[in-house]
Amino acid sequence: MSEYFQTVFDKFELRVRKEYRYTEDDLWVHVEDGKARIGVTDYLQRTSGDVAFIETARQGSRIQKKGELGTMETAKTTVTLYSPLSGQVTEVNRVLAQKPELLNSAPYKEGWLVIITPYDLEGDAKSLLSAEDYYQLMLGKLRSGEGRLESR
Amino acid sequence: MGKGREKKVGIISCSGEECVEGTISRVATRLVLGKLRPNETVTICLPLFLAGGREEREFTRDYPTITVDGCDKMCAKIATERYSGKPASSIVVTDILKNWQCPRLSSRRKLNDETLAVTRKVADRIAEEVDEVLRHWV
Amino acid sequence: MNQPTQKKVIVIPCSGIGKAFGSISRDATYEVTEKLRIDTTQTICLALLVSGDEESLQLVRNNKCVTVDGCPLQCAEKNVKLAGGNLVGSLRVIDVYKENRHLKPRSVTFLDPDGQQMALKLAERIAEKVDDLLGGQ
Repeated sequence: MSEYFQTVFDKFELRVRKEYRYTEDDLWVHVEDGKARIGVTDYLQRTSGDVAFIETARQGSRIQKKGELGTMETAKTTVTLYSPLSGQVTEVNRVLAQKPELLNSAPYKEGWLVIITPYDLEGDAKSLLSAEDYYQLMLGKLRSGEGRLESR
Repeated sequence: MGKGREKKVGIISCSGEECVEGTISRVATRLVLGKLRPNETVTICLPLFLAGGREEREFTRDYPTITVDGCDKMCAKIATERYSGKPASSIVVTDILKNWQCPRLSSRRKLNDETLAVTRKVADRIAEEVDEVLRHWV
Repeated sequence: MNQPTQKKVIVIPCSGIGKAFGSISRDATYEVTEKLRIDTTQTICLALLVSGDEESLQLVRNNKCVTVDGCPLQCAEKNVKLAGGNLVGSLRVIDVYKENRHLKPRSVTFLDPDGQQMALKLAERIAEKVDDLLGGQ
């Protein structure tokens, strides 16, 4: 059985990882040992284009839910990323500084952004979408033409 | 064709750096994709297709394709036949232009107004082929 | 196509049709081969290598080649390597963008002013690379 929900739109394959949770603005959250690893979804990286720069909150910084987690910049657009949880940033993916293209090529794996130790995981998680719900949301965005997809 | 999905046609243009007809091929294809038939067509990036791009190759296996080549070396057609299958239609710009009364074409880098007008006619021709392919959609 | 009478650097863009960076790679290549280094460079159609055009294959095997790719997928580099070309340099449009963040090319079919600017900057980089490879001839 596949790890992903997936669809093909025109020629583009878009995936949603089943074991993760999601925000409506296209971030994913994966809880491991009480900490939350966060990244961008396939849909977000596809509609944004080739990532040239990624900046995130510094390691050790405290962040509010819906506070600015970072920015992702492509030639096409600059996307502000908002934290799905309140907590402390305990780890930042430093590889992205040299290889921002990982956000495009491996958004659910090597392209993760930060790890947060959450203050109120149970409370904050209530507003996260299941993979299936996010998948449906993504399909809706694709049908409405909300973002233009770019070749990976 | 199409596995029950939406009716779409993949357009594969040659890269055509060497001659003005290659640029005409590229621009005409872009006009079809962006303006004339935006909902019915999908762009297939030839270099990515050649390099093994999975999405490009899978699409061309599952959907009908139209190749647009600048010259009779027909790189797009050859690549499509090699990696996916016979295209539903093939257009060669030099062949089309032979049958038209064309003005002297501009440089390959910047298309002048006359060459642009020819390019638009080529785009119309591609769009007609798209319509024809879709008419025969099974 | 004529064989060069002196050794030239063959500049091969990806010309990717789906992104502005593909058009920029193409335009930068023209800037170099038609203006900046007209006597020492030449371009060829990338697809000819894959279709097995013998003249093109000999050209890339017998001369130094520089590829210009629009994105990190690096299709021009991959295809030249597969063809057995003498690849001595690879440039990427995105690296020029990283040094010129204020430029935001949007248009693919015809380059907008930011796209044209980026193509010129990329062309300068290609020309420098060509000079390095030919020892400043």
